[in-house]
Amino acid sequence: MSEHAPDSPQTFDYKHVGGRFLGLVATAIVAFIAIFAGAASNPTQFAFSYLFAFTFFLTICMGGLFWVLVHHSTDAEWSVVVRRQLENMACLLPVMGVLFIPLIFVAPLLWQWMQPENAQDPLLQEKWPYLTPWFFWGRAAFYFVFFTVAAVWLRANSVLQDTDGAPRYTVFNRRLTFASLPLFAVCLTFAAIDWLMGLDYHWFSTMWGVYIFAGSVLSALCVLVLLITALRGLGYFQNVVTPEHFHIIGKLMLAFTIFWAYIGFGQYMLIWYANIPEETIYFLRRNTESWQILSTALVVGHFFVPFLLLLPNPGKRRPAFLCAVAVWILVMHVLDVYVIVLPALHKAGVVVHWMDFACLAAVGCTVAAVFLKRLGDAPLWPLRDPRLPESIALKN
Amino acid sequence: MSEATATIEKLSDEEKQVIRPPLVLNKRTMGWISSYISSIVEDKTPTWWWVSMGITVPLTLLCLACLAYLIATGVGVWGNNHPVGWAWDITNFVFWIGIGHAGTLISAILFLTRQRWRTSINRAAEAMTLFAVVCAGIYPALHVGRVWMAWFLAPVPNANGIWQNFRSPLLWDVFAVSTYFTVSVLFWYTGLIPDLATIRDRCTSKIKKFAYGVMALGWRGGNRQWRHYEKAYLILAGLSTPLVLSVHSVVSFDFATSVIPGWHTTIFPPYFVAGAIFGGFAMVLTIMIPACAIYKPLHDLVTINHVDKMCKIILLTGSIVGYAYLMELFIAWYSGNPFERAAFWYRAFGPYWWAYAAMMFCNVIAPQMFWFKFFRTNLLWVWIIVQFPNMGMWFERFVIIATTLTRDFTPSAWGMFHPSWVDVCTFLGTFGLFTTLFLLFIRFLPMICMFEVKAVLPEADPHHGEAHH
Repeated sequence: MSEHAPDSPQTFDYKHVGGRFLGLVATAIVAFIAIFAGAASNPTQFAFSYLFAFTFFLTICMGGLFWVLVHHSTDAEWSVVVRRQLENMACLLPVMGVLFIPLIFVAPLLWQWMQPENAQDPLLQEKWPYLTPWFFWGRAAFYFVFFTVAAVWLRANSVLQDTDGAPRYTVFNRRLTFASLPLFAVCLTFAAIDWLMGLDYHWFSTMWGVYIFAGSVLSALCVLVLLITALRGLGYFQNVVTPEHFHIIGKLMLAFTIFWAYIGFGQYMLIWYANIPEETIYFLRRNTESWQILSTALVVGHFFVPFLLLLPNPGKRRPAFLCAVAVWILVMHVLDVYVIVLPALHKAGVVVHWMDFACLAAVGCTVAAVFLKRLGDAPLWPLRDPRLPESIALKN
Repeated sequence: MSEATATIEKLSDEEKQVIRPPLVLNKRTMGWISSYISSIVEDKTPTWWWVSMGITVPLTLLCLACLAYLIATGVGVWGNNHPVGWAWDITNFVFWIGIGHAGTLISAILFLTRQRWRTSINRAAEAMTLFAVVCAGIYPALHVGRVWMAWFLAPVPNANGIWQNFRSPLLWDVFAVSTYFTVSVLFWYTGLIPDLATIRDRCTSKIKKFAYGVMALGWRGGNRQWRHYEKAYLILAGLSTPLVLSVHSVVSFDFATSVIPGWHTTIFPPYFVAGAIFGGFAMVLTIMIPACAIYKPLHDLVTINHVDKMCKIILLTGSIVGYAYLMELFIAWYSGNPFERAAFWYRAFGPYWWAYAAMMFCNVIAPQMFWFKFFRTNLLWVWIIVQFPNMGMWFERFVIIATTLTRDFTPSAWGMFHPSWVDVCTFLGTFGLFTTLFLLFIRFLPMICMFEVKAVLPEADPHHGEAHH
């Protein structure tokens, strides 16, 4: 197995980042100043643009945590070498908790049920006490506390194992994962219901949590591919991450592209077929006016294009190709979140606002900066995981 | 005691937990696998088999008699009546079709995801799939009323100029189930060919040699044949995988496309698929545990580790089903729609509260026992616990169908469902049919995929025996 021996640096060297890190921080600061200034003149647009950007990055981080949980609960081998990067992604969830704070100040603009004039709506009264501010904020706090504890604890144990290689960390993380999985399902689902489905508190769909989950896990895989490829390009992961790993990630991207389409189609078709006005309102808004173009683009771009690209084998083994598909899917995920959030504001049709981009830049650069800052704190892959040799020697 | 065993015993508990148990125990060789699995087919028919057939064949005949009575008399011999127009027939149809899913999951999805532990259970699970689909197919075929007109379901020109309603999920069901059955048969049979050839080569009687020879389609095990075989198997696995999702999703559309409260809910497709895999794995364990208890050396191939993994899948899918139940309840309440709320209120506290309680207990609470390793690794406990999903999944379909229909929008039309003796006997009879087919399978076909199990032996690895670094 000597031919597989890792021969690249194990820890990230900040020299690769250099001025780009400061550039990210500067961009984040400028973008935040701009959007806060924009918020003063158009708070409603800010609220929706910010929720859109926040959701995009939150789903990726939740997806990262999901893959860490899957890795431990299934006692997987192949993903050992990429697990640290998933852990790093998941550990951005506390940052997302901090980035949630601006939404607190514009909450009534986003979630109409908080508006005093809606208090007499009989439907809202039926939803007491679920849609009450104290319960709503309490739930939000709970989601972030859980996400933080799970992500940080799992990564801490993983890093501790790098020093002594004790299998007890593997076993402990497995147990921690079993306890976390049900809570993860609950937190992701209700976060999706509270913050996205709650944009129109009249509307409901039992599939909603699963739909957001499908987008999350797929986009987390895409970010993983981009991360691993970038680090390989810098000389890391040599003889650690091989085309075999890309092949597996590519297969999972294909599987979750199909899963997203399956869930999305199931939800759409059942609501369309039954044609009950209280449910169709969601799709009517998104399938009329100029929103129709984006919804159709989503069907083609989020499903058919990546499906056809990922179906043949050879592409999945080529990092450059896989990266291109990953970028495409992430763009489609931006579109997906955009079509979920913004129609609740611009009911008459698409209105692209500069704050949509500025919010993406503000949240994205903040998240990226924190990620890079922490990247060198621990080795890039779990150095002494008991399953590391099998993971490096992976064969499909 | 071997050196390896002594080394393992010195390890700490945590170290033991990260060691992968071998897929085949007791260092069974390739020769042993061929001769033992083939001997099940070759040896004299055992007494237990005749005794079992003595029970299951009369039950099968009971089923056939009930069907003959129904065809001669009419669907009225079932308890279906207004307002419960769909009752045990559709309940049993969904129950049986769901059971089949575990077989396809094990054989196709676990194949594509390179789960090597599937090799010793896939053959029996796939056979179970086919037999379950046969049992399922009986119900909608008979429920059409005039069964001799069932061919009208096929979109072929007919003298009356009647075309099928392509907008109806019931017709989609016909296509989904028949495609699923066809592909499953092909997949199962393709996988059988190399093993049928093994049996053919070992046969001593000319008749048997001829029969197995015909079934083996001239397999000689050459390089070219293996290349074709592997490509065909991969393609069939690829075709079967979407079918696992599509069949039960389409079955769920039968309900979810309607506007009936309790039926129309968007989570139905994935929830039905998870439930089907849940019930299917329970049935796999229900029949595999006794089969291995009879043929004890099979414990070296279907090890406790296999059982443990299947129990974990049951726990996972049971929890997904639990998530769906709770999501339905929550959204029914959250919707604020009085009809949605009433539907679930009647389920939990109405006249069929006992069915709902049984469903919740069997599907959500009982499988939680599998959080504990003891219950996943004690065969008797496993067998007892998996009976709950078996029952629970039937109750689930009964709750969805009968409970919902007993309370529709017009209170003056409310009514209960009472099964007739034909309903009961037909359902019992399908268990007889299922078990009879499975017994015939055990007797005449290799119940474990010999060549695939051999491929997971350590010595099958081309690098086996090379020094490790």
